Amino acid sequence: MEASGTHQKQAKPGKWPGWPIDLIITLLLWAYYTLGFILFFAPFYLLAYLFAKESDRRFQHLNSLFYRVFFTLVRILIPACRWKIDETVRDVRASVVVSNHISYLDPILLISLYRRHTTIAKARLFAIPLYGNMLALSGYLPSNATGHLADLMLQRMASMPGHLADGGNLIIFPEGTRGRQGRIGRLNKGAFKIARLCRAPVKVLFISNTDKLFKPGRFLFDTQRPNRIRVELLETIDPDYEDGSFSIHSLMERVHTLLEKHSAALEESCE
Amino acid sequence: MQRDTIEKEILRIFAELFEIESPGLDENLAEVYEFDSIDAIELLRELETLLGTELTRPEQKEAMEIRTINQIIDYVENLAGKRNI
Repeated sequence: MEASGTHQKQAKPGKWPGWPIDLIITLLLWAYYTLGFILFFAPFYLLAYLFAKESDRRFQHLNSLFYRVFFTLVRILIPACRWKIDETVRDVRASVVVSNHISYLDPILLISLYRRHTTIAKARLFAIPLYGNMLALSGYLPSNATGHLADLMLQRMASMPGHLADGGNLIIFPEGTRGRQGRIGRLNKGAFKIARLCRAPVKVLFISNTDKLFKPGRFLFDTQRPNRIRVELLETIDPDYEDGSFSIHSLMERVHTLLEKHSAALEESCE
Repeated sequence: MQRDTIEKEILRIFAELFEIESPGLDENLAEVYEFDSIDAIELLRELETLLGTELTRPEQKEAMEIRTINQIIDYVENLAGKRNI
């Protein structure tokens, strides 16, 4: 792993400062995200909504494709950033996928890797017109199931064993919110409870350096800094859920330790 | 089904499945033990086994609003009464 933390982006005398390039590339990427969606993808979503038998499956494919194109653009427009996504990560199927979370890019990066996927989104997002509908139509789960979302949650959980058995993944960031690289926050139990409920294996992924490309709290992509984004599969945990000694807390602790150790090792290699 | 039998069974389920030992009967489970909607769905499956019957969607939705052990006991007592269990 490159010691990207040691690279400082500074304008050299006689050269353009980096920010205008950051601004142009960021605007291009946002243009794809908004206009590109409307022009190139919205008609297919509409067709899937109107005619597809399993519209949630079609929506998931379209979401994945939309983000795959997004990351292809990122790779083309930001050559200073290199990517290494392990084959073992791409091959994950029929699993509850848990990962650390350091940037807004992380969820869409994992969605781009898996055509058949679902994930948990914050309950308040389901209330946003159109966007909330898109989440519901994509078969995503609300993080909280009170009020009108109770029915949606019941439906999703009823179909979850079938989704996983069919090769789909459930992507969850158990920290709930973005953490800082080097620190793994307290994990929420949700992912592990669903894994038990569906008798599914847990795949532990680790994402590094997406926060350097798109810094939390910053509007612009950092396009000049040499960076290397990596997604690794740390471990596959296939618990014996029928064993009386199985415990959600132990499973969570095991995952937390894995993430924390890996994070610390990366930090050490950067120093 | 007697109320004390239901209570005993619910407390057993909470200890075995949710690793929550002896919760207070009127404690807010979400606030004190982070009991969430996924737990509620798992609990519903256990209640179906306990009652030996499937729950309807409206009955399941009703359960998603439950907050305390006493409310769960009321809920099960009501279901058992409806089904003459």
